[in-house]
Amino acid sequence: MNSWKKYIALLLALVMVCAMALAGCAGKKSGSENTASDEEPYSRDIFAMDTYMTVSAYGDSGEKAVDAAVKEIQRLDALLSTGKESSEVSELNGNNGGKLSADTNALMAAALDLYESTDHVFDITIYPVMKLWGFTDQNYKVPSDGDLKAALKLVDASTLDYDKEKKSVAFTVGGTQIDFGGIAKGYTSASVAKLYRDLGVTSGLVNLGGNVQAVGFKPDGTEWRIGIQDPVDAESMLGVVSIHDAAVITSGGYERNFEEDGVMYHHIIDPSTGYPADSGLISVSIVSEDGTLADGLSTSLFIMGREKAAEYWRAHKKDFDFVLCEKDGTLVVSDGLRDRFSPIDENAKVEYVS
Amino acid sequence: MKKKDFLIAAAVLLLAGILALVFRFAGGDPGGSVQVKVDGRVAGTYALVEEQRVPFDTKYGHNTLVIEGGKAHIEDADCPDHYCEQQGEISKTGETLVCLPHKLVAEVITGEASDVDVVAK
Ligand SMILES: [Zn+2]
Repeated sequence: MNSWKKYIALLLALVMVCAMALAGCAGKKSGSENTASDEEPYSRDIFAMDTYMTVSAYGDSGEKAVDAAVKEIQRLDALLSTGKESSEVSELNGNNGGKLSADTNALMAAALDLYESTDHVFDITIYPVMKLWGFTDQNYKVPSDGDLKAALKLVDASTLDYDKEKKSVAFTVGGTQIDFGGIAKGYTSASVAKLYRDLGVTSGLVNLGGNVQAVGFKPDGTEWRIGIQDPVDAESMLGVVSIHDAAVITSGGYERNFEEDGVMYHHIIDPSTGYPADSGLISVSIVSEDGTLADGLSTSLFIMGREKAAEYWRAHKKDFDFVLCEKDGTLVVSDGLRDRFSPIDENAKVEYVS
Repeated sequence: MKKKDFLIAAAVLLLAGILALVFRFAGGDPGGSVQVKVDGRVAGTYALVEEQRVPFDTKYGHNTLVIEGGKAHIEDADCPDHYCEQQGEISKTGETLVCLPHKLVAEVITGEASDVDVVAK
């Protein structure tokens, strides 16, 4: 063989080996693209209900479903916002009640069920007290005792004369004001989940400012991994729950608060005192198929504290599970999550409740 | 002659192996970046490898996106609640910094893979 022929042969060999090496890489990539796990979801993000939201859905009907979800969120926001004078809730507050649309009727029924089941901890008539603290318009201030006492007199959902069949409510005490804020986002995520299913979406994720609802499983057939925010450190998580077809909703004083004279005041107000709840818990996460329930219970159990929360769960364990975080960092987890929850910190103190 | 051919063939294979590794690990990963949206519109995308301070002055107000040590956070915000400054640093895909009053969102679009799909907070 002549030496130049040999070099050409070698060069060809080099090119071929390189091509094969590249093809190997490319083959791996396109191979994984074929599996559903690498499929990109259709997503949109919007600002609504005073928060930032992301809705996404996989599959052929993903785009249609997500566009419908955004419309549904905007429709419910317009209906339920206490900040918009034209909203149905504002009209109810302005007229001491009135007729209810299908959505507000469903919300009213859910709210009053929670009012009963939580022994009056969940109360939509807390609105005048929230206003006093400035949590409704971010004009934060500690109210005077006199003002607070007067506002607290209006906090009593048992004074609402509600007729579910006739879809109407009358405020029997003048000055009563309601706000569905404690369940509105959960109700909205549940509505979007229903809409997804109606449109044939089998895999999707709804994130309404940290209120999460998952539809189906991930496209690769595994469960969704939902992190739970660490209430002390914005950059870390307490743990991860693996779920499908469920909402995961967390409440904590870290979400909205202000400081006055060196004291921190947060937005989860105990309706029995009119002051921010101080129950020993710093965050509560609820896992439930029912987004509305998960939303309402996250604040209610936060106000109740560990013992009452566990007691409530024992009476309703078919409906939900919880992860509580105590002031000292102890995690209290209901038994239904025993195989679904894993703490981030291996040394975290985790206590299971059964 | 035979021995020399064998050596050259071995050298070619070795070179090909090194090239494959280079393509695999260096070529495939362009590094993380942060996309900033204001009111839903993309305002810019910034590489996390580049130390930088990017001011945003919109009709809603001011925020500065700061990228340091491969992570991004917000400083100098003139929003009423300053929550955007308290959200820490982000570097993993899907992590966000949100300034609600200014309708500004910074999101890591290509970064370190996150081990969760979303965080409930
Ligand atoms: Zn801000």
